[in-house]
Amino acid sequence: MGNRRKVKFTLAEMMIYNASLEVRDHDRVMVGQGLPIAACTMAKKFHAPNAVLLTEAGLVDIDPYRSPLHIADPTCMKGFSYSCDLIDIFTTVLNRGYVDVCFLGVGQVDKFGNINSTVIGDYFNPKMRMMGAGGAPDFAAYAKRVVLTMRGGKFADKLDYFTTPGWLSGGDSRVKAGLPDSGPEILISTKAVFRFPPPEHELTLVSLHPHCKVEDVQKDIPWKLKIADKISVTPAPTAAAIDFCRTFDPTLSAGRKLGLTLSMQALARKIAEKQKQKS
Amino acid sequence: MVLEGVFMGDIPGSKVMTAKEAVEKFVPDGASVSIANFLTCVPFALIHEVIRQRKKDLTIWSQSGIEEIDLLIAAGCTKKVITAYNYRAGGEWASTEFERAVKDKRVEVEDLSNFTVLAMLWAGALGYNFMPVLKGIKETDVFRVRTLLGEDKFKVIKDPFTGEDTVVVKGVQPEVALFHCQRADRQGNAQYWGSIGNSKWAALACKRIIVCCEEIVDHDVIQWSPHLTLLPAFRVDAVVEDTWAAHPAEVLGYYNFDLSFRAGFYFAQASAKGMQDFIKEWIYDRADRQDYLSHYVSKLGAEKLLRLRARRHPSQTADYGTANLTVWDEKGNCEELGVSRTEFDKIIESQPEVCEWETEEK
Repeated sequence: MGNRRKVKFTLAEMMIYNASLEVRDHDRVMVGQGLPIAACTMAKKFHAPNAVLLTEAGLVDIDPYRSPLHIADPTCMKGFSYSCDLIDIFTTVLNRGYVDVCFLGVGQVDKFGNINSTVIGDYFNPKMRMMGAGGAPDFAAYAKRVVLTMRGGKFADKLDYFTTPGWLSGGDSRVKAGLPDSGPEILISTKAVFRFPPPEHELTLVSLHPHCKVEDVQKDIPWKLKIADKISVTPAPTAAAIDFCRTFDPTLSAGRKLGLTLSMQALARKIAEKQKQKS
Repeated sequence: MVLEGVFMGDIPGSKVMTAKEAVEKFVPDGASVSIANFLTCVPFALIHEVIRQRKKDLTIWSQSGIEEIDLLIAAGCTKKVITAYNYRAGGEWASTEFERAVKDKRVEVEDLSNFTVLAMLWAGALGYNFMPVLKGIKETDVFRVRTLLGEDKFKVIKDPFTGEDTVVVKGVQPEVALFHCQRADRQGNAQYWGSIGNSKWAALACKRIIVCCEEIVDHDVIQWSPHLTLLPAFRVDAVVEDTWAAHPAEVLGYYNFDLSFRAGFYFAQASAKGMQDFIKEWIYDRADRQDYLSHYVSKLGAEKLLRLRARRHPSQTADYGTANLTVWDEKGNCEELGVSRTEFDKIIESQPEVCEWETEEK
């Protein structure tokens, strides 16, 4: 045992750290904007230096120097190894089996890790339009492993819109549908970590974040949650991981709304300053 | 790199015009329009011009909207959008015009995935009627739920070689592409580097292409770096030069994303009125991109903009050099054939199959 330590970290930092642990050295990783790119860049820095990070915009082997604002941001492009395009990524890379792991954010998720990222409510009379499918359906269908992260998302018995295949209806339903025998491995939420163990591939609680109880987790889940024989406490981020998060993407550590609010206030100050100069 | 004192429109074959002229000429009401950039290097100068000219009933083919779709909808330019993604800055608080328009039924949307929407344009660009896609999509509502494209969204056919079910999409060729890139020559050879995304296929699929660039360069520059040319001149109909044309998005090698300006936009568009105010201030009340920049500078200061300027990080050059060996050397001999040009003429003209007839020469 090392020294006891007391650290303060945000839930986002906790999630980023645990997501980063899912990247193995030499993995070819499909990253998305926000939490995934922070987690994967962290992994590359701390334990998977040979991981190859790629985005569907056609950037392969990126090493961003700060958090990109989206997956085609020039901050990804100061030194990358292969410049191709979106068609190349989905065909020559993904379809040929070269994506080892893919990171996806979750809007709505069901028992078998199927995802909705399109609408909340009825498709034709939605309560909310989310961002849409993006690359998720194709990546989740053909990547060898899928890591799901969920911050604002919800668990649902039935998805309002079936955007992205997880384990379909569990068991061997994916293989029967002609998809590779791979799918979501892990879901990291703001309260806990879940896995999808074979043969059922049903969402199963494996660890609780500090201060969370099984009841807190069950409360958000409309079915009787499956719980692993042994559940542990989710590892807290190391001091170095926390420092990395805040250096790389302070807005993510703070939460997007707080981050944008700070930016907005900076803009308002700039406008006021300029007006003062004029008068 | 443009020669000083040369009037750009004067060069033979020049397609240089202003954004205003290009949009007037090539974006008619009712056209299907492909936005040939993906998240980055967004052709905002052209999109703002489309809005300023109050174009109507456009069908928009978008890979991913970052705010351009919201603007086009709010300005009443489109009621039909085919896309894979439209950015929103957060949860319920961050309502977008896209969301409001779907709820109010002011816009019809066809939801595809990044690969399948581009596969339609890819097929169109290649001149194919259809294209196979990854069949996992069949398990999703992206496949099942259909709006604008209806039956034509996906079909399942038998692979003629294996007999397996294959999901295919239809090839499409929209009327006009709006594309922004780093540089182009006056004839329209358009060079783009960095994140290629959808650009090549989303542009080449279209019947017409409007290229907007940060700078026009001489044709020599293109010939020194043909690997950077994404679109050849013969496919391009108009070349527009506008600096900072992608602002508040970024252009690799030129400037970064303007995050705080964008944060302002996200909060503005969270209400319908905020969105209309934004369009009035930054599009309707501005004559062109230059005026937009002047307005920015007077409101926020030039320093804020200049802070976003990219620092130089040029690529390693590729060597296109050859030994420059011509067939006939300076003495008129051919090293490979071991004869002089005079000897060669004699040899071939003494062959039995040589032809001869009389021609009139002036």
